[in-house]
Amino acid sequence: MKILLTGLNHKTAPVELRERLAIAPESLAEEIRALLSHPGVREGLILSTCNRVELLVCYEENEPELAGHLNERFAVDTQSLRPHLYHHREAEAVRHLFRVASSLDSMVVGEPQILGQVKESYTVARSVGAVGGNLERLLQGAFAAAKKVRTETQIGSSSVSIASVAVDLARKIFGSLEGKRVLLVGAGKMSELAARHLMQQGAGSLLISNRTYERAVQLARKFEGHVIRFDDLHARADEADILITSTGSSEFIFRTPHAQQFLHRRRNRPMFIIDIAVPRDVDPEVNRLDGIFLYDIDDLQSVAVSNLSDRTREAQKAEAILEQELARYQRRAESLDVVPVLVDLQTAAEDLRQAELRRAHSRLQSLTPAQLEAVEAVTKGLMNKFLHQPLRALKSAAQHGDMAAIDAIRTAFGPNGNKAAADPVEPGSSEKKLTTIRERQD
Amino acid sequence: MFLLWLRIAAILYGLASLAAFGAVLGNIPRWKRLCMPLALSAWCVHAVSAVEMLVLAHHWMPVGMHEVQSILALLIASVFLIIALRYRTLSFGIFALPLAFLLVVVPALGPDQHTFSSPVIRSGWLLLHITALLAAYAALIFSLLASSLYLMQEKRLKNKRSPGFLNWLPPLDTMDQIAQKTLVLGFHCMTVGLFAGSIIAQESVGPSYFADPKIWLSFVMWGLYVVMLFVRRNAGLRGRRAVYLSSAVFVLMLCVWAANLFSSVHRFSAP
Repeated sequence: MKILLTGLNHKTAPVELRERLAIAPESLAEEIRALLSHPGVREGLILSTCNRVELLVCYEENEPELAGHLNERFAVDTQSLRPHLYHHREAEAVRHLFRVASSLDSMVVGEPQILGQVKESYTVARSVGAVGGNLERLLQGAFAAAKKVRTETQIGSSSVSIASVAVDLARKIFGSLEGKRVLLVGAGKMSELAARHLMQQGAGSLLISNRTYERAVQLARKFEGHVIRFDDLHARADEADILITSTGSSEFIFRTPHAQQFLHRRRNRPMFIIDIAVPRDVDPEVNRLDGIFLYDIDDLQSVAVSNLSDRTREAQKAEAILEQELARYQRRAESLDVVPVLVDLQTAAEDLRQAELRRAHSRLQSLTPAQLEAVEAVTKGLMNKFLHQPLRALKSAAQHGDMAAIDAIRTAFGPNGNKAAADPVEPGSSEKKLTTIRERQD
Repeated sequence: MFLLWLRIAAILYGLASLAAFGAVLGNIPRWKRLCMPLALSAWCVHAVSAVEMLVLAHHWMPVGMHEVQSILALLIASVFLIIALRYRTLSFGIFALPLAFLLVVVPALGPDQHTFSSPVIRSGWLLLHITALLAAYAALIFSLLASSLYLMQEKRLKNKRSPGFLNWLPPLDTMDQIAQKTLVLGFHCMTVGLFAGSIIAQESVGPSYFADPKIWLSFVMWGLYVVMLFVRRNAGLRGRRAVYLSSAVFVLMLCVWAANLFSSVHRFSAP
């Protein structure tokens, strides 16, 4: 069985094309069924995320024309599709799938969602009967590799977006965000995003303050928060554990004396201030106070960049792990491939043994049943002893992926190599022959 | 038999310490899975050894240096396990488990040669006195540790460095809670310990026991402890200042320990 992976992703295709090929979760089963009915396809799976659409198939003889299939199903012109498609076959397809599942091929390397998406596609494909032995082995190998990468590297441990860096820092200060109060000063997009992220991570409640009161009320409705009048800001800002500010003010809104008052009223409980405004809203000197943790946009950005470079370093470790996992998968696949050779070799030897017994048939007629059984046992024992070493060598060669050794053993001991010596016999004919001899003697 | 248990406990503490280093500093999941079972096993074996040792030798009285060391190690391991289970952090293991190992390793080598021979130490209040004070020492060690780690984390967050080597530090709030709670626990233990000690001293020495440097240093430590608790509670003392105060009490605690050398009351030698 051969493997083919055809698809496009964020590196090869623009979003306009990706969104035309995107498959909604509710249509995935139907699309996998359609793929399975494509000529030549024996097993199949479709991975569709916002960054990629990939078709993975197992076939036997003629390679399926998957670009044509995409054209049929999504009405996308094949000519405009082809330049964006990639095709990976056999080992390359396996490698690609392992990298995708381990999040090494993702837009943000190390993001955790992709493994869940691959597992989801696998579950759907399995439910419609599109996963056979080959894809099962391949996908289990990919899941094992992805798990190993997750547990043995730090690839997904650090945040790389501004909003998630802010959440991480808040967690380093407060532990859990549960019950923590967030104050949003100003109504910029970035601050709104950071606030939303904090609320999603369990922050308790949101306070909003804006120069334009109506805008604050609008936002408060959106987030089910409460409004603080801008004039009351300094008097009430200490109610918040996390303060996100992004006003258009050209002067500092919060200075050291304000922060000292906040700390005094909070009895020195820590306060996390995120200043996303440019020009800044908070005097950087505020960060000198014990208990105040001030991060501006550059600080958050530099943490994100540093985390990203950590991920890149971890990705190199992950690639090394993937190589080991790929080698293990290949060894396993090859050892499974060698099973028919083992069977052929044993059958050929058995045929030889039977042919020799038949040739000696006339001379064996005078033997008693006990003597005939002894002859049977001796010939079988000899055959097994003779085969023992080549079979062991074959298994070892398969485990080490030594194809040259496998071919050499097959040529030396295989059915073709020995066919000349053996007369054509029916399977089990020697048993019949011996039984006949025994009957005559009785 | 207790020596065998103690030796097994020492080995398990050693292994748990190694696992804690791998889990906390290396963030290695395999070590994370191993650390707690190893520490728990060490604690169980150690507890069995302590019970056997005390029953066998002195009717529940830790009176030799080895026994005191062993009980202190057991208390430190207990506090670590409570913190690890309550706050889901192994970070304290890199300090507490090696400390428990070091405290246990000497008593595990052989039987104690230096035991106090005075019959006074067989007094019923003594168990309470010694155990409560050892628990107070253990709690204070953790309080100082938590305050120091708080300071390190605070500095790291203020300097805006990426996590790097110090990524293992627990959140500030967790360390603040641990520092506060162990401090309060230590205070209660110390109060009970000093009260029990005073009763024993009154009975055996009389009112003159207050002239003993060991005794008055103990009461100074208690006083400072009260001040520290009061200040922490009312001013919300955290970070640098909290470390200074905890360190001061800790140094005084070491002085109280060292004052045994000059104490006439606390010698417990045979009359």
